[in-house]
Amino acid sequence: MPIDAKVVQQVAVLARLQVESSEEARLVKELTSILSYVEQLQDLDVSGIEPTSQVGEGTKAPLREDEVKPSNVRDEALAQAPDRDGDYFRVPQVV
Amino acid sequence: MTKKPDPLETAESIGRAVRNRERSAVEVARVFVERAERSAPRLSTYLHRDGARTLEMAAEVDRRLESGEKLSPLAGVPIALKDNLCTHGIPTTCGSRILEGYLPPYDAHVVERLRAAGAVFTGKTNCDEFAMGSSTENSAYFPTRNPWDLDRVPGGSSGGSAATVAALEASLALGSDTGGSVRQPAAFCGVFGLKPTYGAVSRYGLVAFASSLDQIGPFARTARDVALLFNEICGRDERDMTSRSDATPIDLESLERGVRGMKIGIPRDLLSVGVDPEITASLDRVTKKLSGEGAEILDVTLPHARYSIATYYLIAPAEASSNLARYDGVRYGFRAKSDDLQTMYASTRGKGFGREVRRRILLGTYALSAGYYDAYYLRAMKVRTLVRRDFDQALLRADAILLPTTPTPPFKLGEKVDDPLAMYLNDIFSIPASLAGAPALSFPSGRTRSNLPIGLQLVGRPFDEGTLLRIARTWEKKSGDPLGVPPIANGGART
Amino acid sequence: MSATRPAPESPSKAEAGAAPGRYETVVGLEVHAQLKTASKIFCCCSTKFGARPNTQVCPICLGLPGVLPILNERAVRFAVMTGIAVGGTIAVRSVFARKNYFYPDLPKGYQISQYDRPLCSGGTVEIHVGGAWKRIGLVRIHLEEDAGKSLHPEGRQGVNTTLVDLNRSGVPLIEIVSEPEIRSGAEAYDYLIRLKQILVYLDVCDGNMEEGSLRCDANVSVRPRGQSVFGTKTEIKNMNSFRNVERAIAFETERQIRLLESGGRVVQETLLWNADKGKAEPMRSKEEAHDYRYFPEPDLLPLDLEPPWIESVRSALPELPHQVRERLTRDFGIPEYDAEVLTETRALASYYEEVARRSGSAKLASNWIMTEVNGIRNKEGQSIEEFPIRPDRLGTLVRMIAEERISGKIGKQLFEMMLTRPEDPEALVKSQGLLPIDDEASLRAIAREVIAANPGPAAEVRAGKERTFAFLVGQAMKQSRGRAHPEKIQDALKKELEAT
Repeated sequence: MPIDAKVVQQVAVLARLQVESSEEARLVKELTSILSYVEQLQDLDVSGIEPTSQVGEGTKAPLREDEVKPSNVRDEALAQAPDRDGDYFRVPQVV
Repeated sequence: MTKKPDPLETAESIGRAVRNRERSAVEVARVFVERAERSAPRLSTYLHRDGARTLEMAAEVDRRLESGEKLSPLAGVPIALKDNLCTHGIPTTCGSRILEGYLPPYDAHVVERLRAAGAVFTGKTNCDEFAMGSSTENSAYFPTRNPWDLDRVPGGSSGGSAATVAALEASLALGSDTGGSVRQPAAFCGVFGLKPTYGAVSRYGLVAFASSLDQIGPFARTARDVALLFNEICGRDERDMTSRSDATPIDLESLERGVRGMKIGIPRDLLSVGVDPEITASLDRVTKKLSGEGAEILDVTLPHARYSIATYYLIAPAEASSNLARYDGVRYGFRAKSDDLQTMYASTRGKGFGREVRRRILLGTYALSAGYYDAYYLRAMKVRTLVRRDFDQALLRADAILLPTTPTPPFKLGEKVDDPLAMYLNDIFSIPASLAGAPALSFPSGRTRSNLPIGLQLVGRPFDEGTLLRIARTWEKKSGDPLGVPPIANGGART
Repeated sequence: MSATRPAPESPSKAEAGAAPGRYETVVGLEVHAQLKTASKIFCCCSTKFGARPNTQVCPICLGLPGVLPILNERAVRFAVMTGIAVGGTIAVRSVFARKNYFYPDLPKGYQISQYDRPLCSGGTVEIHVGGAWKRIGLVRIHLEEDAGKSLHPEGRQGVNTTLVDLNRSGVPLIEIVSEPEIRSGAEAYDYLIRLKQILVYLDVCDGNMEEGSLRCDANVSVRPRGQSVFGTKTEIKNMNSFRNVERAIAFETERQIRLLESGGRVVQETLLWNADKGKAEPMRSKEEAHDYRYFPEPDLLPLDLEPPWIESVRSALPELPHQVRERLTRDFGIPEYDAEVLTETRALASYYEEVARRSGSAKLASNWIMTEVNGIRNKEGQSIEEFPIRPDRLGTLVRMIAEERISGKIGKQLFEMMLTRPEDPEALVKSQGLLPIDDEASLRAIAREVIAANPGPAAEVRAGKERTFAFLVGQAMKQSRGRAHPEKIQDALKKELEAT
């Protein structure tokens, strides 16, 4: 599907990214050029090839013991909040 | 006791002198801090630099030594940290507005290790926003300049780290490499830069760009210094399930054993994409020299490597689009004012992220979205398997693969900012090893006629960083002075 | 699960939520169960419920830049135990995936879950509705992390805000997805009861719906009987009790049928159950099409489980409800119904077993627990663990009755006393003068008193009116507070009537 302004805006909504209408044309051009470049992957026959999502696949990583270790970051972390109400992080209402 | 410290000395000798109490860590730090005060404003190497804090850290190292504590070879060595490594209570912005003023409540694994070792931090270096870029021009704050030519880029994304080591503002530095972000700036600035095997260094506390590719790596001015810093940070960390116990420290003396009998492969097929003639000439010089030292030079093929950029520019943005979802203005960082949650999200992220980051988030979101996953992301993961196999095959025959780090010498600021694809194509030689998870080292191989650094790259088998450093060390010893000192570092310059 | 159950029969009529007449209800349930680990699934924070907001948090579950998940071994073990218990297939390799969406209580902007390669596939839960057993197939069980909690307090000056508490962020969950094989609200209710029972027997979940450790969403559709194609489904959320699940399904079934009967069409949508109104209402927010952009979680390697490890979990599995049921009917010879009631929890079953053993009378023990013990517990809202009469004392009591050393009536008196007093029933019987009266002299004395107090009826008996004799016996028992030996008191009465 060709990238147009509408697609850019749809993807922007999904990514929660404000895209000004003045940026649309540039983004359409850039994304189109990148996506047409990556089209070359369609030339390859990948049937029967296992995907690599992690090069460490198949290696054993020990799991964590179920132990509680208190972390003392609470105050420092809450202090970073752009807005808070006492113990809570505060955001505009979820509708 | 009061021999004047010379920043041109290696980290190894600085550390030894400090440990032997021949010099104080404070004296060493002061030289580097003063140098950074002179050159850093012109190079714009640091996002956060606090000389007083650096000196205080050095004083602490002196106190620890005074009290008889045994410290590592890096005790008292001034080290710069890329600004995407979390430092407790010290700003960590990743070169982004969205994290302006953010103070992490914890240290990254590597930062913790270096503190324990007695290293002294010079500051947090500039980088492309969230490590996305090849020129450090994508920093939301300012671009960093190449110490060899202030009109040119230092490379990226770890441009600040590479430049600060090249300009002798720090003895060592850490960067992160996702598709070449340590190796390419190392090549552009004329220093050594190692991307360790994926899993060799814990990523805990490295702000994620593309999780399956990100690795933290050292910058240094000698091969031995690279090993020294690598040794301090490598190994399994229980806080990173992808970190591996296979990564073990390198015996520095093994680097002195030469290359006799080693097999070094040249991927001629990949080089056909086009390389600057001066870089090709440098590659030939190095090849000849290594051959003269007893290495066997052979041709290898990496038939799928030319698909690497396409593969990478699907996988990395896809992972990034997810990794960067946490910057939503809820718990930390920048928040745009709004009474409506969805507007708050979109506006926070729209204003907080720069152009390149937004472009990649959109690209990655698109590649993962319903209906496109199979054609883009899944296919890219399969091609990644083919690229890995190419390296496995090639490295059955060769102990290491030698190729340029970049197709061109450092380009000018602004030259590629408006053409993202052209910028991406600059990564053609560094991305294949990233996809394979293989260790890769960029080392200085000489300079162009216009005195710009040239870097070559060695790629090896998983967890065999030692072989790469041994080859580079052999070249380093036989070539005289591949490194040099850029004009801006005039103070202690000794060329 | 058990292979000894009778085959399911046709669904019984008049079940709550069953579609009337021409329609058939089709329900699939998605249950989220919180695993009873001490720490969260990917970090070392406590999972304890009810702590002060944002105190059980660390860089990992706050989603701070640079953090990575570390998988909790016990969470994996608990999920595998559940999978084995329902007869599912445990995957030797399962894959964690990121489910991407934005919500203020989802700190990373994605939930780590499993997608196309879950930990467990298949399995069944057996339900018992309308006197028949039926197997409900499972699609899958997968591991995932919980989100935090959003509170929506009343706004001040018209500006409404949402408050976020991340204590729950990263608590381990399993999601158990059923096949659309549930045919009524009543079946859904029983499915949930049985599933919870299994989880609690395994001790992997505390089953507490009020604290959110068990949550359920329902996919509901209807179709004309005999049609194999499914109708359009709606998803109901926000049901905070099993009864509400049952009611919501009944409500939604009726609504869909009415809609279809009046020529309308069911729209695929998400509904929220409003328990106060007894209605499922469309979600208020305009729901944008979800696109979760799942992809393999690159911060975690695929979860590879060694078959010997899976076998070790299997062999260490505790007894399951159906196994205990079968054992009780087999070893104690009690009816299936009793076994069903007594295996409600593992603790109740153990309680019963001890009472049955100590009393030597399995059926009498069962009766006492089902009526007396459960009667009190239901009234007081007590678990069996909290019940004041421990099984050793109840066992002694039931033995005394079984051996006819005391009457059932005395037994009940004793039982009442034992609720508030710690003594052994043998001691109580003595100290409270509850021992049966069976010596001739005492019985004759009682008889005399009864005859003296009831001259009229005594005269009637003497005149041959036998039915009045029963009245005198009753009076004698009353006089002795039930302690008089029931046969011997009759002899005593007869003798005294003749003697006077």
